[in-house]
Amino acid sequence: MLTQLDSLKTAALAALDAAQDESALEAVRVNFLGKKGSVTALSQGMKDVPVDQKKEVGAKLNDVRTAITEGIDTKKLALQAAQDAKAVEGIDITLPGRLGAGVGALHPLTQIRDLAIRTLRRMGFALAEGPEIETEWHCFDALNTPADHPARNEKDTFYLPDGRLLRTHTSSVQIRTMEAAKALPIRIIAPGSAYRRDEIDATHLSVFNQLEGLYVNQDVSLGDLKGTLEYFFREIFGAGTAVRFRPHFFPFTEPSFEIDVKLEAKGKEARWIEIAGCGMVDPAVFAEINKARGDTLFDPDTTTGFAFGLGLDRLAMIMHGITDIRHLIENDVRFLQQFAA
Amino acid sequence: MQVSLSWLSTHLDLSSYTIPQLSDLLTFAGVEVEGIEERGVATDKVVVAQIQSFEQHPNADKLSVCQVDDGSGTPRQIVCGAKNFKAGDKVPLALPGAVLPGGFTIKEGKLRGVDSLGMMCSGKELGIGEDTGGLLIMAADSPIGTPFNQLNPADVLFDLEITPNRPDLLSHLGLARELAALTGLPLKGERHHANSSTKAKAAAEEQIVIKAAEACPIYTARIIKGVKVGPSPEWLRRRLESIGLRPINSIVDITNYVMMEMGQSLHCFDMDKLNGGIVVRMAGEGEKFLALDGQTYELKTDDLVIADSQRTVAIAGVMGGEETGVTESTVNVLLESAYFAPSGIRRTSRRLGLSSDSSYRFERGIDPQQVQGGSELATKLILSIAGGTAEDVVQVAGAVPALVGEVTLDENRARKLLGTPDMTGDEIHAILEKLGLTKKSASKHESHWGIPSYRLDLQRQVDLMEEIARVIGLDRVPSRQVAVASPVDAADRTYDFAMGLRQTLASRGFFEAQTLRLIADAQLADSLGGGQGVAVKNPLSEDHTTLRPSIVPGLIATAALNIRQGLHRLRFFELGRVFLTLPKGGSREEERLAVLISGPVSPTSWHGREPQAADIHELVGQIQNLTRTPLEVRPAKENSANYLLTSELRAGNRILGWIAQMHPARAREIDARHPVYVAELLLSALRQGSTGPTKFEELPRFPGMTRDVAMEVPADLPHAKVAAFFAAQKHPLFVGAEVFDVFADPSGTKIAKDRKSIAWTLTYRSAEKTLETAEVDAAHTAILTALEKTLPATVRR
Repeated sequence: MLTQLDSLKTAALAALDAAQDESALEAVRVNFLGKKGSVTALSQGMKDVPVDQKKEVGAKLNDVRTAITEGIDTKKLALQAAQDAKAVEGIDITLPGRLGAGVGALHPLTQIRDLAIRTLRRMGFALAEGPEIETEWHCFDALNTPADHPARNEKDTFYLPDGRLLRTHTSSVQIRTMEAAKALPIRIIAPGSAYRRDEIDATHLSVFNQLEGLYVNQDVSLGDLKGTLEYFFREIFGAGTAVRFRPHFFPFTEPSFEIDVKLEAKGKEARWIEIAGCGMVDPAVFAEINKARGDTLFDPDTTTGFAFGLGLDRLAMIMHGITDIRHLIENDVRFLQQFAA
Repeated sequence: MQVSLSWLSTHLDLSSYTIPQLSDLLTFAGVEVEGIEERGVATDKVVVAQIQSFEQHPNADKLSVCQVDDGSGTPRQIVCGAKNFKAGDKVPLALPGAVLPGGFTIKEGKLRGVDSLGMMCSGKELGIGEDTGGLLIMAADSPIGTPFNQLNPADVLFDLEITPNRPDLLSHLGLARELAALTGLPLKGERHHANSSTKAKAAAEEQIVIKAAEACPIYTARIIKGVKVGPSPEWLRRRLESIGLRPINSIVDITNYVMMEMGQSLHCFDMDKLNGGIVVRMAGEGEKFLALDGQTYELKTDDLVIADSQRTVAIAGVMGGEETGVTESTVNVLLESAYFAPSGIRRTSRRLGLSSDSSYRFERGIDPQQVQGGSELATKLILSIAGGTAEDVVQVAGAVPALVGEVTLDENRARKLLGTPDMTGDEIHAILEKLGLTKKSASKHESHWGIPSYRLDLQRQVDLMEEIARVIGLDRVPSRQVAVASPVDAADRTYDFAMGLRQTLASRGFFEAQTLRLIADAQLADSLGGGQGVAVKNPLSEDHTTLRPSIVPGLIATAALNIRQGLHRLRFFELGRVFLTLPKGGSREEERLAVLISGPVSPTSWHGREPQAADIHELVGQIQNLTRTPLEVRPAKENSANYLLTSELRAGNRILGWIAQMHPARAREIDARHPVYVAELLLSALRQGSTGPTKFEELPRFPGMTRDVAMEVPADLPHAKVAAFFAAQKHPLFVGAEVFDVFADPSGTKIAKDRKSIAWTLTYRSAEKTLETAEVDAAHTAILTALEKTLPATVRR
C-alpha cells in the first residue's frame, strides 16, 4: 500500500506538471482526489490495513493528499499568472492614444482676457458692461471730447441712421457705470468690443477688443494708478518686467500717460512696446456725470480717480508673437490648435 | 511732424545731447518719437569735384570713364554709370576710404578693366533726398575740393507725434522752447512771435473787412511791391526739403518756412489779381471755388472764406485759390497773417476732405500773439530773397483774442492728485516758471499763474497739475496699491457662467471662434433665431454692413474657411453679443452661444475605421449636457431657405435657443463633405436653469426594479409624445422611463414602413420597502394599459 501511494503521488505530480489549463487541472483533481479518484479509493482501503501499520499508512495517505492538493494550488496560481501575463501581450504602448471627442481650445483672445480679468479681480476690480451701440453723449460728450473732435465723424466712426454710433472705445462703460453708481468707491473693469472705421489689414481690425478699468474714490492719486498698473503688467509679463509711463493726451484723463513695457522678442534686443493708455479722470468728466445724474456724488473737489484701457488683440499678439491681427478673426483651426491648453 | 535737428539747433545748442538722449527727452515730454533718420555724410572724404571730360568705357556700353578735378591738383579717373551729367558739372565725389550711409566703404579698384579711384554720388547714396536717377548735380558756384558736409551738413530727422493738446509744438521754435524749458538750455536767435517791431495800422474798410469776427478775430495784410519771384536760395530749399516739403517758388517757400519755423500759417496773394480789398466772410451756399490743388470745392454758409470785392479767393486757413496764387510772374503780393478759430477750420476741412499743413495748425489752435510776428518774419525774408518794397505798416483788422487767462493752483490738491506729498511749493513754482508761466502771486498753499499765449491748453488747475506730472515724471511718484472689496454683480456672474461654458466646450473638443460682429448682407440668411440685425449707416465695405443678429453666420464662414483648408471634422463655438432691431425702433443687445458641428463624432484613429458622422442628435446631446434641466425640442413650422429641421429648444416655458441642419444646397456651397448642424442659445436663458445652490435629495434606501417594454407605433409618432405620456404618469411606484431602442425599416421587411418599434425601460421603487415582484407587475400592467389607451401603440407582450 505504501508503494502504491508513492507511485500514485508520482503519477499525480506528473499529471499536474502536464496540465496546461484550468480544465486539465480539474481533471487531475477529479482523477486523484475526486469521489472516485484513485487516492480516495486507496483511502477507502485503510480499514483493511493492519493496526500496527495504520499509523504509518495513514500518515502517508495524508502526505500524498496534501502534496497533490498543494500541487494543484501551486499549478493553478502558475497558470493564472501565465494567463495574466498574456493580458497585455502584443500591446504597443507607444501608439497614440485615442482622443474621444478630440482636443479643442479656447480662443487666444479669451485666454488673455481671462488672464487679465483674473489678475485684476485679485486686486478688487469687479466686472462691468455697457452697450456696444452707444449714444454720442456716452461715447464722446461725457468723456470731455469736443463736438468737433476729429474722431467724431463718419470717416472714423460707424453711425446708425438714428444718430447712435458703435462705441469707439470701452471708455463709454466708465460713463455707464458712474451714471448708475449708488455710492463710491467704483472699482471696475470692462472687457468688450469697440469699433473704428479702419480698413482691415495686418495691424487693424474694424471691430477689436479692449479692456477698460476705472477706480474712483476720495483722494485716488497718480501713485495708485502707477502701483496698480505696474503690478498688473508684471503679473501678465513676469515679475521683472520694466514698465514706463510716457506723458500723453486723452480728452477724458489729465494727466494722461501711455504705458510701455520692455519685452524681448525672440533673438532681438528688448524694446519698449506700447501697451496701454491711462490717466487721472478729468474733472470735466465728473462734472458732466453730476449734471446727468442731478446730484454731486462725484464732487469734483474731493473725488478723483484713474482710468486705463488696453487693447486685448494687441496684448494677445505681443504675448504670443502673432504677426498678423487677422489670424484672430479667421479662426483657422491650425491657428487655434496652437493655443490648446 | 518732421523736425530737423539742424534747424532746431538754430534755436538752442543741443550738442551736449546724443540722439537717444534727445529721443528720450522728447518721449518723456509727451512727444512720441515715431522715427529717427540720420541724413547726409559725416565723413570729410566726400568732396565737391568737377567733371572735366568723359568718354565711353572701352568694355561697357553703360559706363563712362571720367576725368575729374577734386581740388588736389591731380586729375582723378572715375568710372561712372550715371548719364545725367555734362563736362563742367560739379558733383559730390567719395574718395577712397569714405564710408557712405549704410556702412559702404569706397575703395580704389578697376571696373571692367579700367581704373576707378573713387565714386561720384547721387543724393540718395549720400542719404539726402530721393533717387533722381543720376548724380547729384551741385550748384555751379560750389567750391571744388570742399568737403560735401560743409555745404550739406549732416542732419537728423525726427518724426514726431504731437498730441492734439499741444499745437504750440508744431514748429521748430515751439519745440525748441519746450526743450529749453525741460533742459534749462538757453534759447538763442530770434523769438519772432514776441517782438514784432512793425507798426500796425488799423485797416480801412476798403482794405480789410471782417464780417465773421468770431471765426476770424484778427486779420493782417502786408503789401510788398516789386518782388521778383524765382527759385529759393539753396539754404531755404534745403530746409524745406529736409522736412519733406517740396520747394515751389521763393514766396511760397517763405510762407512754408515761417509756418515750420514758428507755427504761423500765412498766405500770399498775387495782389494784381485781387479786385479791391479783403473781405473775411462766410461762404455763400453752394458757392464753387477752385483751389490751389486744382480741385473745385462746393462751399456752404458755415465755411469761412477770404474774398475780394467780387469773389472768394481762399478757403480761410485751409487753402488759397488757383486764380490769385503767387506765380513766377507775380510782382506785387499781399501777405496774409491771421488767426482763424479752430472749430470752423476743422469743420470745413473735414467736410471738404481737404487738409493742409495750414488747416492742421489752425484747427488745433495757433498762438494769436504771433500773427504779426509771423507777418514780419515773412516780410523780412521776402525782401531779402525776392526783393521789392514793403509798405512800412501792416494793416490790421480786428484784435488779438485773449485765449488764455490766469489759473489758480491749489498746491495741496496737486500733491494729493499726484501722490507726491513731499513736493515743495518752491519745486512746483520752479517747474511752472521754467515752462514759461508767470507767477502773479502766491500764498501758503495757493499760487496764481499767468499763462503764456501759446499754451492754449492751460486753462484749469488740473492742466497745471498735468504739467507738473509731465516734468517730474512718474519715476518720482511712489507706487501705491489699494484693494477694495467689490461686490459681485450681474456682469461678474455672467462672465463666470460664460467662461464655464467655454471651458466645458473646449474640453469636449470644440474650438472657440471669434468672428467679426459686423457681417455682410449676404450672410444674414444664415442667421438663426429670426431676429433682424442692426444696419450701419456708413459701412466700410459690403462685407461688413450689419451688426449680426445671430452668431451662426460667423461660424459658417469659419467652417467654410477651414473646409477650404481640407478640414472636414468641424467643432466650433462662439460666445458673444448679437444685435436685434426692435419692432418699435431702437435695438437690443444680448449674449448668445452658437455651436456648429459637422463630420465624424471623434477624430480618425489608427484603431478601426472612420467614426460615423455626427447627426443632429449629437448636437442635441451636446446642448443637453450644457443645460441642467431637461431639454425639449419643438420643431418649427417653417424653415428658412438655408436650413432644415429648424427647431426651438425649450426648457419648460423658457426658450433656450434654436437648432437646425444646414440645407444640403447651402452645405454644397461651402463644400461641406458631411451634414452641418448649428445651434444658437440665449445665455440668459441657459443661466436661469442654474441659479442658486443645488438642493440635496435623499438617496433611495430600497432598490428599484425595472421592466422593459417594446411597442410598435406609427413611424411619425414623435418621441416627445411618448416621453410626455410617461412624464404624466402618477402611479406611486413609478419613478421614470427611458427610451433604449428605436427601430424602423425603410424597406418594410422587418416592420411595416409606416411603423417603428420603440423600447423603453421603466423603473419602479418604493420609499418604504423592497418591492415584491407582484407589486411591480401590477403597476407595470396598469401603466401599459394606460399607454395603449393614450397612444396609438401596440405593446409587444
